[in-house]
Amino acid sequence: MTVTICIGSSCHLKGSRDIVSRLQTLIAEHGLNEQVTLSGAFCSGNCVQGVVVTIDGEQVHSVSPDNAESFFQNEILPRLAQ
Amino acid sequence: MTLRADCACKSLTKHHEELCGDKAELLRTDDSYIMILADGMGSGVKANILATLTAKILGTMFLKGASLDECVETIVKTLPVCQVRHVAYSTFSILQVSRDGHAYLVEFDNPACLMLRGGQIHPIPFCFREIAGKRIKEAHFLVQTGDTYLLVSDGVIHAGVGREFPFGWSWDAMASYAAVQAPACQSAAQLAERICLEAGRLYGGSPGDDTTAAVMRIVPAQVVHLMTGPPSDPADDERIVEALMQGNACRIVCGGTSATIVARQLKRPLMPTLHFADPDIPPIAHLQGIDLVTEGVLTLNRAVALLRRYTAATPETSCSHGSLADDLANENGGALLARALIERCTDLRLLVGKAVNTAHQVPDLPFDLGARQLLVDQLKTLVQAMGKQVTVTYF
Repeated sequence: MTVTICIGSSCHLKGSRDIVSRLQTLIAEHGLNEQVTLSGAFCSGNCVQGVVVTIDGEQVHSVSPDNAESFFQNEILPRLAQ
Repeated sequence: MTLRADCACKSLTKHHEELCGDKAELLRTDDSYIMILADGMGSGVKANILATLTAKILGTMFLKGASLDECVETIVKTLPVCQVRHVAYSTFSILQVSRDGHAYLVEFDNPACLMLRGGQIHPIPFCFREIAGKRIKEAHFLVQTGDTYLLVSDGVIHAGVGREFPFGWSWDAMASYAAVQAPACQSAAQLAERICLEAGRLYGGSPGDDTTAAVMRIVPAQVVHLMTGPPSDPADDERIVEALMQGNACRIVCGGTSATIVARQLKRPLMPTLHFADPDIPPIAHLQGIDLVTEGVLTLNRAVALLRRYTAATPETSCSHGSLADDLANENGGALLARALIERCTDLRLLVGKAVNTAHQVPDLPFDLGARQLLVDQLKTLVQAMGKQVTVTYF
């Protein structure tokens, strides 16, 4: 699974760096380094919804540093379980 | 041969004085580079006025193509006469290097110009001539790529007088020091800085005289193409990328959307990294054929801030190791961009897309992302102030 976080100007200002580091920590804590790859992406034009995060290039998720953990619990973990 | 010169100067002001009595002028005509160093008699306001007048008169007249004789006569007749000493006096040196490699050096009572070639101190063959009652040293010679020329005021060679050395640093010791430092310097500014730092150290941090080093390095032309911003008409995407990829140049793209356009035109994958070298600057990306790919305005803003510190370092800050060197050495996009422009650029070609990035029309952001135009203007001014040639093309 590849989780892509927008690091464009607007998403950066909205905290993409925090989200990257939180997800990195959560992925490590759950021992998922083999299964989940984090990658960056430049602006996709969805800044209003930023921070823009996509899973395997699919649907756009609107994530903030505050809900990064629940995003991990609700979106990433269930998909891995499938 | 169309050579380029990297020119820079640095001054330390005599302790307890607010104004420096040395004045360096770095000028450029269509076909030559001119470096002038004047050292006004005395110190403080009076010396500053004498040196500034001398440097400005020489610079203005040289730029307009006046002969040396006319320049010297004008200075002799113009300088205000000192009430105490009843003379009007400022020493000066002029080094003019034409794009075809011909150099013309003039010196009046300043320490001799140091020429470094192949890492060695190289003698410059002088002739003497009298103009308007002044004994002037003149030299005509050919420069080579890789040469370094250093003009210093007597404050440099007298550094440490009565302290570390009974008669001061001396020209020979200063020249040997410069010969050792020059190969390790990436820019003229760095060498000028090191000479002044060492002189300041010899003075025990409290310069006994105005101290100035002006450096000219003869470098091969290094062209940088910097693209930032999407074109206002998407039909111009192809044209802007063509301009970016043209000729032999270091290619830089600043902007996520811009990078996406370049990747699409080149049909190559754009690979952003997640390495935050600095928490405030978004990570860079990789794109085959492009030397540096960064985010846009936040990165440009950082680069402009670094270049502003770099070009405006005052004598006070130059006496000590600031954190500017550390900030420039960082691996964030802004520092990488600033470094490329300082160290590997003689000619900057800015390719600026004027589209308003609709993606950035997001309310409540802590930074005005529409500042690209302003930042490009500031960047242009700063890079020009560093003596580099800048052109801007809008799309």
